[in-house]
Amino acid sequence: MNMKTTRIKKTTWVAVASLGILIAVVLNGCMESKMVAAKSGAQLWAENCQRCHNTPSPASFSHDQWVTVGMHMQTRAQLTDKERQKIVAFLSQ
Amino acid sequence: MKTAKKALSVAIFACLFTANIARAQQTAADSALMDRVTALEQQVADQKPGESHFMVVGLATFGFVSTKTTFNPLTGAPQVVKTNSLADADRYELSPMLLWRHDNKFLVEFEPSFDGTSVGVNWANVSYFAAPGLVIHGGYFVLPFGIYSKRLAAGWIDKVASDPVGFDLPGTDFGIGVSGGYPLGSMKWSYDVSLTNGLQLLPDGELQNAGVVDNNTNKTITGRLALLPLSNSSLEIGVSALFGGVADAGSSFSNANTNMYAADLSFVHTFNPFLINIKGQYNWMNVNRQNYISPVDSSAYSFNNRSTSAFGQISVRPVGVDNKFLKNVELAYRYISYNTPANSTWGSNYSENNIGLDYWLSWRTVLKLTYGKTHSVSNSSTALGGMPGITDTNNIYLQFSMEF
Repeated sequence: MNMKTTRIKKTTWVAVASLGILIAVVLNGCMESKMVAAKSGAQLWAENCQRCHNTPSPASFSHDQWVTVGMHMQTRAQLTDKERQKIVAFLSQ
Repeated sequence: MKTAKKALSVAIFACLFTANIARAQQTAADSALMDRVTALEQQVADQKPGESHFMVVGLATFGFVSTKTTFNPLTGAPQVVKTNSLADADRYELSPMLLWRHDNKFLVEFEPSFDGTSVGVNWANVSYFAAPGLVIHGGYFVLPFGIYSKRLAAGWIDKVASDPVGFDLPGTDFGIGVSGGYPLGSMKWSYDVSLTNGLQLLPDGELQNAGVVDNNTNKTITGRLALLPLSNSSLEIGVSALFGGVADAGSSFSNANTNMYAADLSFVHTFNPFLINIKGQYNWMNVNRQNYISPVDSSAYSFNNRSTSAFGQISVRPVGVDNKFLKNVELAYRYISYNTPANSTWGSNYSENNIGLDYWLSWRTVLKLTYGKTHSVSNSSTALGGMPGITDTNNIYLQFSMEF
């Protein structure tokens, strides 16, 4: 009985520790790397828009319209919030 | 006296020089201040609700198709039909998309569409940008299943003139959903999940959208999970799933349900001077075993109601060359496979090859010349009135498409 209790406790500890490590890794992973954080709006525009269509000309819309288009594209392509903000800022220049 | 004059000149010069520096500094400060004020005004304007945040974009597609269809029955002579059409449901579409945002939190999207025969709605939904990585939406929207329907179907995005057969479902539906994207170190991942009315099982075993008046109390859950493992976002791998009841309430299909799975891939990268664009999707759709009513003698029959559809596509564009004409030319190829259940009234093994030459007039305006060849072997049941045989078609499309 004692051995079984000990075994369960060990298993529980291992499971909790594993889960903790997994959560730590995921939370850490959800932070963008320095390289990604340093990307400019122009670079993100070049990388992300062409995943589906040609890269748009910044002259196509006004700043106000780019903000709207950026929100629309976030719902389509699941851009991250930072990506959308940087791309819209670049296209609005 | 000379010394005094010299001193006076130096003093005047010093005063003027200092004044100029001060003025230059003042101008620079004014300019920086004005830039800051402009930026703040823009930020305030972004937050304001109002008519200024309404815009209309959309797409227009029209074209010509020449088709030769040859049907080879198991017995008897082949039947050949030729058509030349300027526009039909697949070659004509005018879809203005109305976008309206309420500050930076709400976005309304509405896209009516005229396809030459009727006016429909592609989507009509409201999105709420609740938090970073969390967009909540409700209304009538494209379900998150694979990548074709939601991202690639628009004529000005699609590399060939026709849509791939077998990718209509699950299509568009009424419901609610959540979606978002997150960084994962140097990678990214995204999710898109919805809860909707679901599909409807027809008497012959086919599925269609249930519509705004739901056909049962069940709801359908659809979701897509994607990973972009490369830091430049060039590669995206996605998996999708759908589960839901599909029977009309009170019908003999009372326990009918469907499960669907999809895997998709997208790779876009420039290997100078060529931009390579690869897309692919595989769908697997299943409805659990049911008894259907024969259209011939009203007897009960059953079949393994399982369908698969797949497409693989590659396009190449020499974006890095100096020649202005050549850099706007794109060569595209797409293979499609669509297999529907044997021993049903609608079973067949279908394949299609398309090769296209596109010329981009602008980033969102394209002229497409596509040659398509399809091959379909019917495996529908003769006992149910099916007509076994082989159908081959040759299509030549000339299509113009633009986003406006």
